[in-house]
Amino acid sequence: MDSSLCQAYKDEIQSLEEEIKLLAEKYEANQQESIFFSEEEILMSINTFQKEFQRQSGGHEFPTDLKAELESLETDLSFLMKFTGIQFTSRCKKTVEKTRNRTVQKHRLLGNCHSLSFELEFQLLEMRTKESVSTVITDLSIIMESGEDSDVSEFVSRTEEHRNLLTFFRSLSSYAEWCEHRRCTFLHFKAKYPDIVALPEGLRGDYIILRNPKVSGFELMIIWKIHLDEEGRTTPVLDLLTKVPEQVLEQHRATVENAPAHFRSLLRLLGVETAIENLIKALALEK
Amino acid sequence: MEEGKAHPSEGVFAHLEMLEAQAHEVAVKQAAAEQRKEQLARLEARVQELRQRRDELQAKVELQEQGQHGQGGVVSDPAQHSAQTVLGWKIRKVKSTLQVFYLTGISGKLSKQGVCFCISTAYEGTYLDSYYLDLLTEPQVRIHRHSIPTFIPMEQIAKKYLQTDIRRFLSVLSDHLNAYVGRRYQADQLQEHFSDRLEGTMQRNSLCNLLVFNYNPSSKSETFPFNARLLYGDLCCSLPTEVVISCAPDAPAALTETAAAHSDLFRRLALHKAFGSFGSAGEHVDGAR
Repeated sequence: MDSSLCQAYKDEIQSLEEEIKLLAEKYEANQQESIFFSEEEILMSINTFQKEFQRQSGGHEFPTDLKAELESLETDLSFLMKFTGIQFTSRCKKTVEKTRNRTVQKHRLLGNCHSLSFELEFQLLEMRTKESVSTVITDLSIIMESGEDSDVSEFVSRTEEHRNLLTFFRSLSSYAEWCEHRRCTFLHFKAKYPDIVALPEGLRGDYIILRNPKVSGFELMIIWKIHLDEEGRTTPVLDLLTKVPEQVLEQHRATVENAPAHFRSLLRLLGVETAIENLIKALALEK
Repeated sequence: MEEGKAHPSEGVFAHLEMLEAQAHEVAVKQAAAEQRKEQLARLEARVQELRQRRDELQAKVELQEQGQHGQGGVVSDPAQHSAQTVLGWKIRKVKSTLQVFYLTGISGKLSKQGVCFCISTAYEGTYLDSYYLDLLTEPQVRIHRHSIPTFIPMEQIAKKYLQTDIRRFLSVLSDHLNAYVGRRYQADQLQEHFSDRLEGTMQRNSLCNLLVFNYNPSSKSETFPFNARLLYGDLCCSLPTEVVISCAPDAPAALTETAAAHSDLFRRLALHKAFGSFGSAGEHVDGAR
């Protein structure tokens, strides 16, 4: 009876020790997630560390230079943010389950890619085998600021359905870059030819109107749509619409009717900026 | 020897010896029992101690979890923490943000002479292989080392985009890699979960853009009346551009109809999902007619 009691105690000790180990890890992880140091405190610490480090470095052989490590990591991070256009403004992570082989974490990520903001909530399952670690997204929810756009909302629901977090980022990146390119182009022309270029829907809209102030009734509308298909492929489509008064139309019917086609060839040959520039110059010369 | 007539003192000695032996035995037994008691007491004490520690930790963790509901957290007292702790915390934070970039598909770090990019791939939420690309930036951008497989046309893509638009280069390369990995994943899943509907192992090339196999939509049958040939003409796509399903020339009309339906199915649906849609009973197809 004694020996079985003894064994029972030993078993319980072993399971308690394991439990304590897991709890301690969880506590540490939660501490990491919940403590928050402000930028000032960090700067102060860097300075303090710098002084201590300089004092001590004479005595130690291989001191860990935390400041250098931090700087190198921050340089890497800022490079990535600039290169991809993706910035994370807020991050929250919660470990929901942790055993020796499985970790399930709930993440909440807010950020933007160029000027498009997103809010993500997803569940990440990490499974460890002897050879490898596998990462699987088991749940995904996406909220986009430009969610009213039907293209974007279809893409978002399809991506959520397939839990395709990677495709979301890759597609968002390319879509946002095109949107940014369009915005910059519109801004450039509005600044260069303020009298001729009008932006009825502002810089976020998808068309600009060109009109010569001296010639009334004559308008050119350049439409620049950026389509996002369900698979996440971005396709920019540019076109030209003309608004021409009757007399001009009668005299120059062929030119006016061929204008969109000519514009499209200019686009192919010279690119967007040059094509639009040419159009504006041609318009400015109209009397 | 004198029998029966023992010296009285010898009898007493024997008796005393016996008593001594008995006492010794009892003492030994008692000592053993004491030892066991002590051991049990020690174990019991240890169990209590561990239980208490476990309960304390559990309470602490519960308190933590009640406290954090998605908010920024507790602003701590700077005087309490050493510079080292604060820096350590910040370093861990930056490292974990860098890890999130892995999930976005493009991550990396700066190197002495350029950048080392890591392209991660995934198929519908399952992250698969990552590939490395070590780029030098001086005097012009060029590829130093990489782990891109040879059947991916990286040189062609580099020739087109590397000098003018690195982002575009990485984006196109990433499209190729993700599509390849997606095709491979579908084929692997098919082989793993539906091997009873396939005749042997399917044939595939290293780029996984040509698959050939014989199959039967219903499981546990002995014949495989359909031959499928899937060609993925678009290397950036994980769905086939051309599907040819054929049966034996003397096959009944119903079979050819099914073949046409399947041909359409494989063009629209991922391979393993298409097989999944056949159901467990499947449309029972008897090819031996």
